Amino acid sequence: MHDDLAAVLDKVEAGETLDEGDWRALTGGHDLIALGMAADGARRRRHGDRATFVQVVPVPVDAPALAEPVAADAGELRLTGRPETPSAAVAAVRALAVRADGAPVTGFAYGDLEALCGHDAARLGDLLVELREAGLARLTSLAADAPNPETVVAVLGGSGLGVSGLTLGGAAGDDARRLLQRVGSWDGVGGVCRALAPLSPVEASPPATGYADLRQVALARLLVDNIDSIQVDWSRHGPKLAQVALTFGADDVDAVPAAASPDQGWRRSPREEIRRNITAAGFVPVPRNGRFEALQS
Amino acid sequence: MSIASIAERVRDGGRIDGREALQLYTGASTALLGRLADGIRARRHPSGVVTYIIDRNVNYTNVCVARCNFCAFYRPVGSAEGYVLGFDELFRKIDETRAVGGNQLLLQGGHNPDLPLEWYEDLFSAVKARYPDFRLHALSPPEILHLSRLSQEPVAEVVRRLVAAGLDSVPGGGAEILVDRVRRELNCYSKATADEWLSVMRHVHEAGLRSTATMMYGSVDTPAERVEHLCRLRDLQDETGGFTAFITWSYQPANTELAGVEATGIDYLRTLALSRIVLDNFDNLQASWVTQGGKVGQLSLAFGANDMGSVMIEENVVRAAGAEYCMDEAEIVRNIEDAGFVPKRRNMTYDIVGDPLFRRRAIPRRTALAVARPAGDTSVPDELSRYPARSRPGREQRAASGPRPA
Repeated sequence: MHDDLAAVLDKVEAGETLDEGDWRALTGGHDLIALGMAADGARRRRHGDRATFVQVVPVPVDAPALAEPVAADAGELRLTGRPETPSAAVAAVRALAVRADGAPVTGFAYGDLEALCGHDAARLGDLLVELREAGLARLTSLAADAPNPETVVAVLGGSGLGVSGLTLGGAAGDDARRLLQRVGSWDGVGGVCRALAPLSPVEASPPATGYADLRQVALARLLVDNIDSIQVDWSRHGPKLAQVALTFGADDVDAVPAAASPDQGWRRSPREEIRRNITAAGFVPVPRNGRFEALQS
Repeated sequence: MSIASIAERVRDGGRIDGREALQLYTGASTALLGRLADGIRARRHPSGVVTYIIDRNVNYTNVCVARCNFCAFYRPVGSAEGYVLGFDELFRKIDETRAVGGNQLLLQGGHNPDLPLEWYEDLFSAVKARYPDFRLHALSPPEILHLSRLSQEPVAEVVRRLVAAGLDSVPGGGAEILVDRVRRELNCYSKATADEWLSVMRHVHEAGLRSTATMMYGSVDTPAERVEHLCRLRDLQDETGGFTAFITWSYQPANTELAGVEATGIDYLRTLALSRIVLDNFDNLQASWVTQGGKVGQLSLAFGANDMGSVMIEENVVRAAGAEYCMDEAEIVRNIEDAGFVPKRRNMTYDIVGDPLFRRRAIPRRTALAVARPAGDTSVPDELSRYPARSRPGREQRAASGPRPA
């Protein structure tokens, strides 16, 4: 490890303010394993050797019906897509909640609902309460660059509805660094947002490299100590990268399919597959539900 | 001995034995394995250069009598899906390869009983006559052994004849795991035992050729058997010094008779790192992005690899087993530079041949690897009628296509 990186990692661990040179050492260096080891240390201090995962049944918001009974391994039914109106959002939650068989129903991006409410905080607060009463357990996502961070925390806190994942969108490099700094100093965000998902939800062009992805995961864990979990997406980022990310600071795996897809018939069941991957990475797999409650193994 | 003391010996440049390697493999953290492997990589390649080659993986036939149960590529003799590429098809592939800056074919295929040694000699001679500078990195040890059995010639003589015809170097395919228990379970014991594979490589090196070595892990093998494989390669390298590089990849289970599941990404990085540590007499380790994908392929550079392998252009074998990753030269170079290394093109013997070619001239981007033949193409090359077939279906096919010239 280069001496300057070691010194910066010491400063990070001590919670000291980083200067521009420190940032360059953190984000521009190529000693990926040193960065990963530091992030893994921070992750283990917070979560030990546990790695949680959630098995998700995605349900389109405009057709909130289940073609099949809820899979036994499902930890979450997730409404996907943007609702047309606030009432459509509530109706979708109600329709799905009655069929959920106990699995938490989640859905919606905070920003989408805010736009549906004309960016009126009071209206948004009322909608979130209505959604919670209809059976929504959590919102799916909140953008880290959301305007008025104090208002966001107040609205969510007032509604009693939390968010599963804070996202950086497609931000990378310096943009991602600025967002991570913003999140790190965002008062109260950890009370309403359970996890930070640092990797892009959509593939960039050209795609992010493995180094860039793991560096972003590690930096997220090292620089954001006010959000409990660092999350990677099994379906979006693939089993291999998601697994390696667990050794670079991530502790939670989102979007594991609840049932095997026909084109993966030669694999083990998704639950066995995620367990095998987490164990091979040196962690203890813990299934959870959409409320982040641990489930029986 | 403790893991810390084994690690210390590795850091000091010392050799570890098989028992110590197994202890490290099963007990050390992934980060420690990576750190040790990266340290060795940095000592061997202090300039920070990461190499790659522009060549093409061509499989001249998929007809095979070996019937390895981990292989999704082969077709049995007489199969309607069996093919043999014609010389003209191979020339076209060479033309395409040269057009994007490649100067080598990695040429391997099934153990086809209807392709005698003379077919290979004629093919190699024809390639060399047409493209004198083009390199033939061809025929893995089991293929050479198959030709020895088919022709009733000793391996050394087969190698001599192939070299005379134009063979330049030998790929390390067909090694799987060099432990006969594993080879029996994979039904590849009869194609080549562990000793036979190593013996062919010894003949190849004695003939003055260089070769690569490989390991396919993650099927029915144990960690101890992987370590044994590496130690056997290290022993032969001590003896001959003929290996230029080592490549490991995980068993790809889709569409195979053996089925099962693929080893994980962490398994790959740990195995790669251990290989770098044990194979202390190998200069070069390749990243297997074609089986692991671009991202884990790039991460290989932090776990001991100093080479991104081949731009490949075409691939058929692991694709048949479910892996369909593609990286063209621009993408390989982007990944090398993003990881902090300096990309250089190389040849099979790892001589640097230049900087990235796409920066010197326009080369069309490629998002998918080519295949040996378009689906449904069942044509039979005309020149096959010149060679005797050994199988009944082969004899019938050649009889139907007309008498052989005297």
